[in-house]
Amino acid sequence: MAEKGKMNIGHLGGVARLREENEKVVKDCESRIQHWQKVSGDYEALNERLKTLPDQLSYDIMVPFGPLAFMPGKLVHTNEVTALLGDNWFAKCSAKQAQKVVDHRMKCESRFSKDCFPVLSPKERSHCFILMDLETISSTKGDYVDIREDTGNDDAAVTKGKQRIARKPHSMPKMDAVLDLKEENEGGSGDGGSGNGTLTEEELWARLDELEKLEELQDEQDRLSDNADLNGEDTSSVSSEEEKEGDAAPPVNGLSLKPSWTSRPHSEAPPSADRKAGEDDEEEQEEGSCLPTIFFSHTIEPKKVRINTGKNTMFKFSERKEQKEHSKKKKKNGHNNGLSHHELHKITTPVDIYRLFVDVKNGEPVPRKSILKSRSRENSVCSDTSESSAADFEERRVIGRSFSHDEATHSDTSDDSPTAVPQHPASRFEAFSGTVVEKEPMPSAVPHLTIAPPALPTILERKQEEVTPDVVPPQQAPKRVSKFKAARLQQV
Amino acid sequence: MAEAIQKKLKAEVEKYTQMQKDVSKNMSARQKLETQLTENNIVKEELDLLGSTNTVYKLIGPVLVKQDLDEAKATVTKRLEYINGEIQRYETVLKDMEKKSEQHREVLSSLQQEFQRAQGLAVGKV
Repeated sequence: MAEKGKMNIGHLGGVARLREENEKVVKDCESRIQHWQKVSGDYEALNERLKTLPDQLSYDIMVPFGPLAFMPGKLVHTNEVTALLGDNWFAKCSAKQAQKVVDHRMKCESRFSKDCFPVLSPKERSHCFILMDLETISSTKGDYVDIREDTGNDDAAVTKGKQRIARKPHSMPKMDAVLDLKEENEGGSGDGGSGNGTLTEEELWARLDELEKLEELQDEQDRLSDNADLNGEDTSSVSSEEEKEGDAAPPVNGLSLKPSWTSRPHSEAPPSADRKAGEDDEEEQEEGSCLPTIFFSHTIEPKKVRINTGKNTMFKFSERKEQKEHSKKKKKNGHNNGLSHHELHKITTPVDIYRLFVDVKNGEPVPRKSILKSRSRENSVCSDTSESSAADFEERRVIGRSFSHDEATHSDTSDDSPTAVPQHPASRFEAFSGTVVEKEPMPSAVPHLTIAPPALPTILERKQEEVTPDVVPPQQAPKRVSKFKAARLQQV
Repeated sequence: MAEAIQKKLKAEVEKYTQMQKDVSKNMSARQKLETQLTENNIVKEELDLLGSTNTVYKLIGPVLVKQDLDEAKATVTKRLEYINGEIQRYETVLKDMEKKSEQHREVLSSLQQEFQRAQGLAVGKV
């Protein structure tokens, strides 16, 4: 390899020298051609003179007299010309014969100058230069080839193996991936980067195909992972619920609900995709019919939507709650408000979130200052699911469940459709780019207890809680009065 | 050791340059002869074209001397032959000189290698 390198270096030097020589020759030929052009011009003029000279017997001319003077004189014997034949040989001849000599000499000159032209022809030149360039390229390639041989295996490994670039699916187009690969190669192999730059087209196409397959695989994996996440979360939540149910000694109704709920995630697992389609169909049905014939079925769970707000907190949007509220409203308000209620629940802007996150104080919905507060979990359609408030959440859910079951038994189950999920969470949360995760349903007591002012969906249980356990809030409720006013009142 | 080699190297290099000069001289002389050859060829052709009616002159210094056509022709041919002979002579000399220069080049390269080795040894020793 070292020898080859040396040879290449020598080649380089040789090529440079060759180039110089070639340039020399080219210049020489150019000069010759110029000379020939001048000479030919002179000969042409001479020819003309020889033609016209014998027209007159004598001409009146100014004869040069030394280097600086002229003398008037006559040109005689106009047809007699002493012509130089070459090598100091002269011949006296007529003008016509002189012309012949001139023609003859021009031919000879042209013969000599023709030798230059092929050298100067652009094709030849370019050919020569191309060869030299190729030589230079080959010489340089030789250096790179050496290096490339050292890192050839690495390149093969990188191209053959799966490329593990952490990137979102569908986020990077294929060309970027190719470029990334190239960059990686250059970064990895160092000097071999230039060699990688000379990847053949075929290799590039093969690489593109590989990346396409990779992307497809990733997409499938993501889909599966999404479904798996949904299922996993459902199962986990269900399991946690089971444990806590055991601890809390749930009512019989809750227990009875359990198996159905547990069965749900399992049934859920396989037809996740189908479920979505089914839900879509149901959604369509409901919207189209606008009739109170909403079918309740435990097989399909209402969706819980988790909105990732960062900091390990997720908002849970309970569709079930919404559905119950929706059904309630439909009952109360008839068909007309169905759509409006729909719209109310529809979150398209961040304002809508705050509208949904609402506290109930004294029967009036008050917009909450912070939507991260845990106490609102059960009481709102959207609630925070931070870990700190998990326990409370479970308790409330238990309570809620009991209520929901009562409602189910008492009220119009057939009409209510908390579970027939018309509203596809994804469609509601168009504004959000966070992950949409379906979860085990929230306690269905909320819709039952909803106080439904037309503007806002409200929190129901909260009011109950406030009424029942807490004595403090009512005390806090009275309006603050200023000292002076109080004094006045007292006085009065 | 290295110094001695260096001296030798220098001497050889000088010889080599001298040889190169001789070669170049030879080359230039030969080129001259070649041009003369071509010229004389042209003259011969012209003289053949000329008829006997015309007079031929030869320029010797500042004087044009009348020449007979046949004589002129003979002179020119002789000159041509002479030139050819000269060229051939020069060619042979050139060949010899080239061979000599090649030998010299080889000697020079060997000397250079020795010199480098000596230098390498000296560096190693140091």
